[in-house]
Amino acid sequence: MRYDSITDAIGNTPLVRIDPAVHGLRNIDLYAKLEMLNPFGSVKDRPAWHMARPHLEGAGDGEGTVVELSSGNTAKALALLAGMHGLKFKSVTNRMRVPEIKELLLLLGAEIEELPGRSECLDPTDTDDPLTHFHQVLTEPGSTYLHTDQYFNPRNVEAHAAGTGPEIVKDLDGRAPDWFVACVGTAGSSTGVARVLREHDPDVRVLGLVAHKSDFIPGIRTIDEVHQVGLFDPATYDTIESVTSGEAIDGMLTLIRRCGLLSGPTGGAAYQGAVRHLRDADEALEGAGRRETAVFIVCDRAESYLSYVRARRPELLGRTSRVPTLATLTEDDVRTDARSVGVDDARRWIAEGDPRPLVVDMRSPHAYAALHIEGSVNIVDELFEELVRGGLPFSKRTPVLLACPVGEKSLRHAALLTRMGHPDVRSLAGGIVAWRDAGAPLVRE
Amino acid sequence: MDVPLYLRPRIEPPLASLLGAAPFLHSLVDALGSPLNVLLPETIAENAARFRAVYRRHRLTGRLYFAHKANRSSALVRRLAAEDPAAVGIDVASLEELRHALSCGITGDRVMATGPKDPEFLWLAARVGATVNLDSPRELEQLAALVRGHGLGRVRVLARLSGFESTAGQSGAGTRVLSRRSRFGTPVRDAETLWSALERHSDAVELIGLAYHLDTTGLEEKVRALEQCVLLMDACRERGLAPRAVDIGGGFGVGYVADAGEWQRWTTALSEAVLGGRPPLTWRGHGYGLRNEGGTVRGSVALYPGHRPDAGPGYLDGLLSLPAPVLGREPGTLLLEHLHDLHIEPGRSLVDQCGLSLARVLDVRGTGADPDPYLVRLGMNAGDVSLEEHGVLMDPVLLSRGDPSGDGRDGDPEAERPVGVHLVGNLCLEADLITRRLVFLPRLPRPGDVLAFVNTAGYAMDFHAHHAQRQPSARTVAVEREGDSWRWCPDEDYWPITHPGGTPA
Repeated sequence: MRYDSITDAIGNTPLVRIDPAVHGLRNIDLYAKLEMLNPFGSVKDRPAWHMARPHLEGAGDGEGTVVELSSGNTAKALALLAGMHGLKFKSVTNRMRVPEIKELLLLLGAEIEELPGRSECLDPTDTDDPLTHFHQVLTEPGSTYLHTDQYFNPRNVEAHAAGTGPEIVKDLDGRAPDWFVACVGTAGSSTGVARVLREHDPDVRVLGLVAHKSDFIPGIRTIDEVHQVGLFDPATYDTIESVTSGEAIDGMLTLIRRCGLLSGPTGGAAYQGAVRHLRDADEALEGAGRRETAVFIVCDRAESYLSYVRARRPELLGRTSRVPTLATLTEDDVRTDARSVGVDDARRWIAEGDPRPLVVDMRSPHAYAALHIEGSVNIVDELFEELVRGGLPFSKRTPVLLACPVGEKSLRHAALLTRMGHPDVRSLAGGIVAWRDAGAPLVRE
Repeated sequence: MDVPLYLRPRIEPPLASLLGAAPFLHSLVDALGSPLNVLLPETIAENAARFRAVYRRHRLTGRLYFAHKANRSSALVRRLAAEDPAAVGIDVASLEELRHALSCGITGDRVMATGPKDPEFLWLAARVGATVNLDSPRELEQLAALVRGHGLGRVRVLARLSGFESTAGQSGAGTRVLSRRSRFGTPVRDAETLWSALERHSDAVELIGLAYHLDTTGLEEKVRALEQCVLLMDACRERGLAPRAVDIGGGFGVGYVADAGEWQRWTTALSEAVLGGRPPLTWRGHGYGLRNEGGTVRGSVALYPGHRPDAGPGYLDGLLSLPAPVLGREPGTLLLEHLHDLHIEPGRSLVDQCGLSLARVLDVRGTGADPDPYLVRLGMNAGDVSLEEHGVLMDPVLLSRGDPSGDGRDGDPEAERPVGVHLVGNLCLEADLITRRLVFLPRLPRPGDVLAFVNTAGYAMDFHAHHAQRQPSARTVAVEREGDSWRWCPDEDYWPITHPGGTPA
């Protein structure tokens, strides 16, 4: 397939049937609309391009900044689109909650502005939310901001009414599915697709999924948050149900491990919410002699959500190690294998030892530079841990004195080095703090 | 009406057993009048111990300074005076607070003077050897002049900084974390001038550390400020100054509402009510900052986050554990390995669960036939329990007259069902509502009952109390459990060595 621009590759995503052996529904065919296969990686490519296009084609001279309230896929797509047109992109957000997405946006050249947290000492008469300021800046005279306004812009809905919706109908041989399941973020995809499907068949049932209120699923709003979305109209949905991050990850795992679909948590939530809801309808169809179809959207891909999974299901990303590591040391190991030396003895050892010990300061470089024991070398603890994973970094003939702030981490590391076969490694008892409190000299860089 | 939209308060053991002693609380109100503040001095010491436990976990040294402004009580300050002087001090923000702290037995070296300061306040602070938390370079000039002019000893000072946002360039290209502007402290961009002034006045003042206090619940903003302080401490050392402590202020927060589900149900219902999808939950449909624009909710909820599972010591722990943006280390580790002390100034969180405010029910108006909710008039006004003023929403606990379990002797089944009421105050003023929220109670109160607003010791007890219309202001008593009963004494008569009510026979 040959294109003049990557934007021509947006849309026309596959509709893939989920194996009934996976979802267990006997009378409903479940299809996944693979929006993750859009060129920038998500369902947001469509509205981003449709909303930004008039701005970008009008801007021409490379002046201005595209700005959007987004901490995820819309920002990603807009950053790429702005870059293609020689413009800048700025994302304004409450908090970037997925670190990889933040780093990815920075890689794409986006500028990120994070709004202040809530006031602790609250003044209830101050109802000026941070967004008021945002809108003031946008409308200032001479502003070169191009605001795509995804939560209120009707072109967000149109992108799906013109693309996603008709594609589903076409791929189902001109028929609308009986069920359409969508996660509600900006409400753009659900509103746009539902409109088209209902034109074909007014009986289409639309299930909107929102995040459980105390929970966080990327790209999905909670029931309170959807009320703040200008495009959200409760009448679009026959049912609104909530899903948890646990269900989202369960669904994501099913799609990845059993269906070959590299879905992120949003798609996982849609799958899990769909199957949960359709189970009753499936029972009711038993023996009725007809089949129904359901479609859900796989919004984006898994790779950007590793830290999201790690925070919730660390065991899924667990690693095991063959060599002894700090993590495998028990308190007993530390007690039997670690030797420590007090400040006075350490000073004598450093001054008169034969050979003299190598002093390793395990604090961060900045703290080391500020004040340290003269002649010590600085290997910060996390680096040290990494270093010894490969083997002993010192000769066994060189005695070693390890120092950390209070003598706890250094004690564990001393135990570890001893277990790895070093004959004379000791930890500075009480650490640099005890050293300072004893009035022993510290120098600056 | 569907399930009553309760926002039941989080009540921990000492406070819970006090509420169980309804006849005792009734007798206090009978004797001392309504409104009445009740304090549990032991609890503030327990809270201090919880904060100290976080210090221990992170191996940190430094002092906790109680932000006196949270409560005027003598009993609380005297109880803290009895704690380890090396670990616990007090943060005073006015001349009178300083005098009060000294009179309660807190020695000058345990005092931190913060906020805007007039010359008398500065003089007394310097005279008694308090640490002065400098609000501005101008205040430094004033202090230095006072020290020289009146032959005072060298004063220990902390430099309060603000405007950390301007240095965010260091936190990585492309990302900017915004913060609210503060009226206190020296902006970081003017730090060089401040260091020079500190050097110039080194005969009069000794810089012992850097300080900040940010009015935000956002951990990221605070971690950024803390890390900036660590970096700036180094800049000070380079100049030959020798600061040793980072003072991170307060704002650790309190979890007021017990159940996350109740908080979530209520806030969701508020959005729905603002949209018109359900009857108002508030007096005259007040939206607490939310408004309805063409069917979409706009604005942000101006409410204290009611359910906070990680408030107080847990919040401090979180703050010390979140990796810092520039150096990449946890703030707890940064402080420790730079050999810095950590000072904190908790107010609200240190008096968590330390007291309650009682009010007599005076009048109950409205009937079952009337579609409007009942009006319940209390022997107090909005100034006496200023929860609403701080955006804190939580239900009072109904203490029946007579049988503490709520006897229902009236035999009226209508009156024994959950009911929504508006709590109005004793002032002749339309706006005098204890809360604009429609409050649900397990049954309709009767005149003579007492409502207990719990957990009011932090900013909600006397911060806004006044004498408008010559209405009585609340008296305050300290109580202590003794076996199965409770002893009490006036707040001003409490000392940590005496059992309230006198030495037992």
